[in-house]
Amino acid sequence: MTNLLGSLGMNVSSMSVNDWMGVCLSLFAFFGMVATYVMVFRPTNKDMFESQRAMALDDSDRISMGEK
Amino acid sequence: MRSQTQFWHDFFQKMMPGGRFFIASDCICSGWLANFTIQKGDIVEATQATPVKYDMEVVRWFTIAAAIYAVVGTLIGVWIASELAWPFLNFDIPELTFGRLRPLHTNAVIFAFGGCVLMATGFYMVQRTGATRLWSNKLAWFTFWGWNLIIVLAVITLPLGLTEGKEYAELIWPIDILIAVVWLSFGLNHIMTVAIRKTTHIYVSNWFTMGMIVMITYLHVVNSLAIPVSLTNSYSIYSGVQDAMIQWWWGHNAVGFYLTGGFLGIMYYFVPKQTGRPVFSYRLSVLHFWALTFGYVWLGAHHLQYTALPDWTGSLGAAVSLAMIIPSWGGAMNGMMTISGAWDKLRTDYILRFLVVSLAFYAMSTFEGPVMSIKTVNALSHYTDWTIGHVHSGALGWMAMVSYGAIYHMIKKLWNTEMYSDSLVNVHFWLATIGTVIYIVAMWVSGIMQGLMWRDYDEFGTLTHTFVESVSEMHPYYAMRAIGGMVFNLGTWIALYNIVMTVRQPRASVNAVPAKA
Repeated sequence: MTNLLGSLGMNVSSMSVNDWMGVCLSLFAFFGMVATYVMVFRPTNKDMFESQRAMALDDSDRISMGEK
Repeated sequence: MRSQTQFWHDFFQKMMPGGRFFIASDCICSGWLANFTIQKGDIVEATQATPVKYDMEVVRWFTIAAAIYAVVGTLIGVWIASELAWPFLNFDIPELTFGRLRPLHTNAVIFAFGGCVLMATGFYMVQRTGATRLWSNKLAWFTFWGWNLIIVLAVITLPLGLTEGKEYAELIWPIDILIAVVWLSFGLNHIMTVAIRKTTHIYVSNWFTMGMIVMITYLHVVNSLAIPVSLTNSYSIYSGVQDAMIQWWWGHNAVGFYLTGGFLGIMYYFVPKQTGRPVFSYRLSVLHFWALTFGYVWLGAHHLQYTALPDWTGSLGAAVSLAMIIPSWGGAMNGMMTISGAWDKLRTDYILRFLVVSLAFYAMSTFEGPVMSIKTVNALSHYTDWTIGHVHSGALGWMAMVSYGAIYHMIKKLWNTEMYSDSLVNVHFWLATIGTVIYIVAMWVSGIMQGLMWRDYDEFGTLTHTFVESVSEMHPYYAMRAIGGMVFNLGTWIALYNIVMTVRQPRASVNAVPAKA
């Protein structure tokens, strides 16, 4: 593992707690974005998302605005 | 997932019968990323078809306050722009000098005008898309009066020179604490209103607003941490380059989550409403939200190129800045394509013009910013007026334009009436557009001239121009900038007049159903 990280230019032995927190956050953001892209572009999810397209349009005619 | 959900279900049912908190717990622990929906269990059924009375009075007050603060904030901006062109205008009165009034201008337009717009639209959208009233109307009023108290305190303290000296975070520590309290009251109310919604889905606009609430709380608190030494004075707990990094981590994310994310929430609600067409791609809007949320927090370092900050940090900030062009342009295109098929409306719908032009400026600003973060470009642009031009293409062209589009739309709905004068809306649109263009063109020319003059060496390696020479050369552009600001400010006066006349005219029955969405 150390060799692998070293090959990425990381001096593992000199990394502080802050450094490791940064690495973890970076990886979280990276994999989070990958997961988001997969989720959004998965064909089976298309209808689930796009069924909400008109949600903003559906809120007016049926609802009164209340008293001033 | 379900067992965890069931646990919180049982817990909150025991602790807080009534169901409200049950929904909140489910919202947090299940499905939050998967599809923006909650697991409702058996307690709540979607009742969007049921007429709901909203708490809109506080929205009306926030809306009117926003229109007033736009006038005041840009007027102060015009004044200080004029001081730079004609310095005698400070009359040697310390309270009127550029250094004192500049933070008042930025706080007025960003937090007074922008804040009131965000809170008005936030409370408006969350109720309508959730088919529910506010979680707490009283808390909303606390937010309104608290936010306005902060603005009053800013008006008093900043001209007196009471400041922490941090850009966009100038207010002294007691006001910082008040900001945190009032902001949290807005956040709690918004998030709890989402939690008690009657619809199954959380509309993407509310995600943008909630993302802004969470991140601005975090950023404001961390950046404002300080050791008070008196009621009006304190020292940041950070020092040196760490202080600078924390400051610009806040500074750029105030742009990213407050001036961009919050207003994108407005865009995703009001563009479909005004065009009467659904969002072009809801999947793209989801991607837009998460890409900005994951990405924006990395950008702050690009404000500190060629400083004591480690070189790689600035490079990382610039690299992620460039990557952010993709979701930003995707979002801008999503908004533009939503209008596709309804372009003819631009001939007659002046409110829609504000929204379309705001998207154009959003796309332009989110391209210009990353380009300016590249080190070679930054070497020319940093510390020059190009940065001021960039900021104002975003603030005037994007933020103010989309705000006025939303304000005009809401005014008609909130007072159930038509605008007093559609022609004045059109006049305002053109004044805002022309004023913005004059302003940013002046700053582009001025900034690039400054950058070129400052870096120009003669054959002996000495600077060709003195700093004073560069200042002198800026005069025509500073005058041009002041004129652009005046034109924009004139538009805000017209908008305020039009809005006041609109709300004063006799209204149709308040409870009547609006004819069109």
